Amino acid sequence: MANTNRDAVLKVFDGFRVELDEYNDRRERLIKVSRDITNASKKVIFLLHRLATAKIESGGTDFKSIAKQGRDKLIEIQALFASIRGELDGERFWSFQRAVSPGLQEYIEALSFVHYLESGRLVTFREVQASLTDESGIVYFPLPLDDYLLGVSDLTGELMRYAIVAISHRGGRNKAKEVCDFVRNCKADFERFTPFVKFLSKKQAVTSQSLEKIEAAAYTIAIRRSEYGASAEALEDLVSGYESSSGMERQGRGRGDVEGDDDMFP
Amino acid sequence: MDPDDLATINTALDADVDRREKIKDQVNELDKTTRSMVGVLNKIHSTPENEMVSVIRSVRPLLESCSIALEAIANLVPQHQFWRWRDMWCHSLRTAVFSAALLEFLEKGKLISVAHTSEILGIKPEWNERLYLQVEDYLHGLISVVNELSRLAVNSVTMGDFDQPIRISMFVKDLFAGFSMLNLKNNDLRRRFDSLKYDIKKIEEVVYDISLRRLAPLPPSASEEMETSPERRKN
Repeated sequence: MANTNRDAVLKVFDGFRVELDEYNDRRERLIKVSRDITNASKKVIFLLHRLATAKIESGGTDFKSIAKQGRDKLIEIQALFASIRGELDGERFWSFQRAVSPGLQEYIEALSFVHYLESGRLVTFREVQASLTDESGIVYFPLPLDDYLLGVSDLTGELMRYAIVAISHRGGRNKAKEVCDFVRNCKADFERFTPFVKFLSKKQAVTSQSLEKIEAAAYTIAIRRSEYGASAEALEDLVSGYESSSGMERQGRGRGDVEGDDDMFP
Repeated sequence: MDPDDLATINTALDADVDRREKIKDQVNELDKTTRSMVGVLNKIHSTPENEMVSVIRSVRPLLESCSIALEAIANLVPQHQFWRWRDMWCHSLRTAVFSAALLEFLEKGKLISVAHTSEILGIKPEWNERLYLQVEDYLHGLISVVNELSRLAVNSVTMGDFDQPIRISMFVKDLFAGFSMLNLKNNDLRRRFDSLKYDIKKIEEVVYDISLRRLAPLPPSASEEMETSPERRKN
């Protein structure tokens, strides 16, 4: 009697094991893909920063070509999302949403950076969703609202880095001001969503910090400019004059030529 | 931010908040029922075996009334979104499973199945993907049963019932063997499973005390062995 009971219990739990294993294995697989997506997205963001910095330093103003390169890279990430669509059909999507959400948010961050460089605007919910839709218009990865908002919130941190690099270069003052206004608007727009979206208030705090950093940099530039009392253009010329001479000086030092020091103070 | 987008997001968030509140109301209803069940079930620790039937009888209608709130929840959850909202009710649902499984043990001495639990709670198969009894919630309910049974083993001895601890011991050991077959991740279920051994130890101690003093008849398997053993036959 006892044994038949035990056997029945074991048989039932055998079924549970299969079910739980399947769930856990699927979750592991999705976490791996999510990590791959995070990695690839971070690479795109770094690529954009590198290209944008080079462009700013060379005095270029056309960022569309940079965005194009970023967009090409994003196609590979979109393929990763497409590869897991079979794992996420029907009710499974919400079952594993938390496993894939970190990767998704990083992807949205990269996409929104590309989009900003392209158009100077914030990528819309619909545009992000469209990027995760196949040619025949079938959504293969439904975009949760929370992930969209948390993903685009991260953009402000990237824009801060971008603005700080820009601000010390010719024409960068205007660029920094543009970014500053943009980030300020983002912060204002997101604020009303914070009660509804978990973790958004944390992101808002980071956005505030980024904003302060940009504002502080802009302030420093403004103060120095007023001290000099010249037109913006004249100041740019002066700075670039210094930059080129100190550049030469650095080269001189590289050759072990210490006398070049005097060149710094003509 | 795009004004259209802003409006869409606002509408969608409002709809979610609305839905969440409606579900919460129903979960509160379910919670009321499960709490009163737990309250009534607490009486088993002070009810002699021959009066147990009346306790069981008073829990039944409560158990069956869970279906009202569950149906309301199922109607509020959009298709395919079971997992999005389940955290809201899983605690109450586990308590309901606990009550159903405990009743089944008290009545029949058996382990209730997932299908039977769903049936008792009025969870309909056609709700699939909006609300169903998930294995994890079912297993949580069973662990609560073991927690409760370790107390019942002690208290039934106090009431002079020496058979109950033996039945409990066998049932819990079967369950533990079942749980041991699962590959549990480091989650709540795992932690609660790890705590089962203390319940089992407590039950074993009770069984040991009873056996040592020969207070209970030998379990059927053991007495069979005795009956067929050569020494017995000689007598």
